[in-house]
Amino acid sequence: MNSVIGYYTTQFGELWDKSLFDLVEEAIAGVLKQNKLANEQIDAVFFGNMLAGVLENNLHSTSKIAEILKVNIPIFRAEAACASGGAAFNLAKTYLEANSNKNVLVVGAEKMTDYSPEEAITGLSAASSGEEQEAGLTFPGLYGMMANYYLEKYHYTEENLAYVSVKNHFHGSLNNKAHFRRKITVKDVLSSPYVAFPLKVLDSSPISDGASAVIITNNRDLIKKQKNSVSVLASEVITDTISLKSRKQIDEILATKIATDVAFKKAKISRRDIKVAEVHDCFSIAEILAMEDLGFWEKGTGGNKITELSTMFGNGGSLIVNTSGGLKAAGHPVGATGIKQIGEIFLQLTNQAEKRQVKNAKYGLAHNVGGSGGTAVVTILGI
Amino acid sequence: MISPVKIWRRQKKIRKILGKKGKVLTWTKIFTPGADFKKYAPYPVVLVELENKDKIYGQLVSYEEKDLKMGKEVVSVLRKVRSSSEEGVIAYGIKFKPL
Repeated sequence: MNSVIGYYTTQFGELWDKSLFDLVEEAIAGVLKQNKLANEQIDAVFFGNMLAGVLENNLHSTSKIAEILKVNIPIFRAEAACASGGAAFNLAKTYLEANSNKNVLVVGAEKMTDYSPEEAITGLSAASSGEEQEAGLTFPGLYGMMANYYLEKYHYTEENLAYVSVKNHFHGSLNNKAHFRRKITVKDVLSSPYVAFPLKVLDSSPISDGASAVIITNNRDLIKKQKNSVSVLASEVITDTISLKSRKQIDEILATKIATDVAFKKAKISRRDIKVAEVHDCFSIAEILAMEDLGFWEKGTGGNKITELSTMFGNGGSLIVNTSGGLKAAGHPVGATGIKQIGEIFLQLTNQAEKRQVKNAKYGLAHNVGGSGGTAVVTILGI
Repeated sequence: MISPVKIWRRQKKIRKILGKKGKVLTWTKIFTPGADFKKYAPYPVVLVELENKDKIYGQLVSYEEKDLKMGKEVVSVLRKVRSSSEEGVIAYGIKFKPL
């Protein structure tokens, strides 16, 4: 069995005094120190990053990480747009299945605020189809199309979406690593300007800098020595068409549904066992669709369910969602997000989540999406 | 800069989908576009299902706010899509007009 034994994340936000590799270095040093591991005890590294090649002409990051660690080991980069972190974790787990007694470092990072919003948006659009790019569609635009379709089909309004952001900003206020730590109201969301109709600024995750790292190992002696460790019960990557228009349904992410069904089968637990989940809320609509596609809520009921705020910390619900603040409030440094999600579940299951600690959580799920649904990664952890 | 070869390759396909009628499946209006589209914002983008069931994206032009709805009948037209620099090639492509 593979176990996650440590997690460290940098602050997420507009970190103008830090470069991409300053952030990577901080995350690596942080997680190694926590586990009292020397650089030489790391057998391989998987790095999740999307934009360094596009935005700053910065590739071959694997060799840069070797320079930081001062080691000569296999290092790989994973790219799957916003699911780069989740994909890196999945590859690390697969690597461990082929190699016994190894310690693998998984680090995800993104540096986005060195560039204007237009440059960052153009860079992110590289993860959509050529036709979508030529039509002037952005990722907010693609999720806007999904939201518009969903709201009309099930007779909801923009107000239904707003509750996602209210909940996740409340959670962000409890996480000192979050990009945004301010609580907001439904009225704040509804009065914020449009990004891509019907989605507004406060329906959208921000452009952030940040890096997160975990250690995953199958070294039993090392696992026994750890104060905190959680088992990786399943990690599944599923892909689908890059174009939204080519999918069977506009208001569902099929890759999520398939990955989830396989993950639960492998983990041998049921959805009711999950007490904490980090789901991919790049936009408010995305969390509602994710809750339906993950099988926690029935199709079409999400718009109504979210207004009950049962998934908000402190409301006594049986499943609390996005305690980190989600992408919305914790921030969305693209390559780091998937690792931060897994790290947050690690913190929750090992009672290290401080002010936002959910009681008695034995199982947690992380859900990471690339693009408008072309990649989905579902990871289930347990103690 | 947009590669002229890339535009040439794409434009060969455009004539086949000109003057086609269809219905809006879903739509959005972009307020914060990428760099090349900044000067056109805000602009609506529609996903259209043509009569032959093919699906195509395009911006909606010559429209009124009441035209922005699902099921609206539209027709494909040739329009300028973008020009990324003063000297660069101007890219033409498909947009839609309300019927």
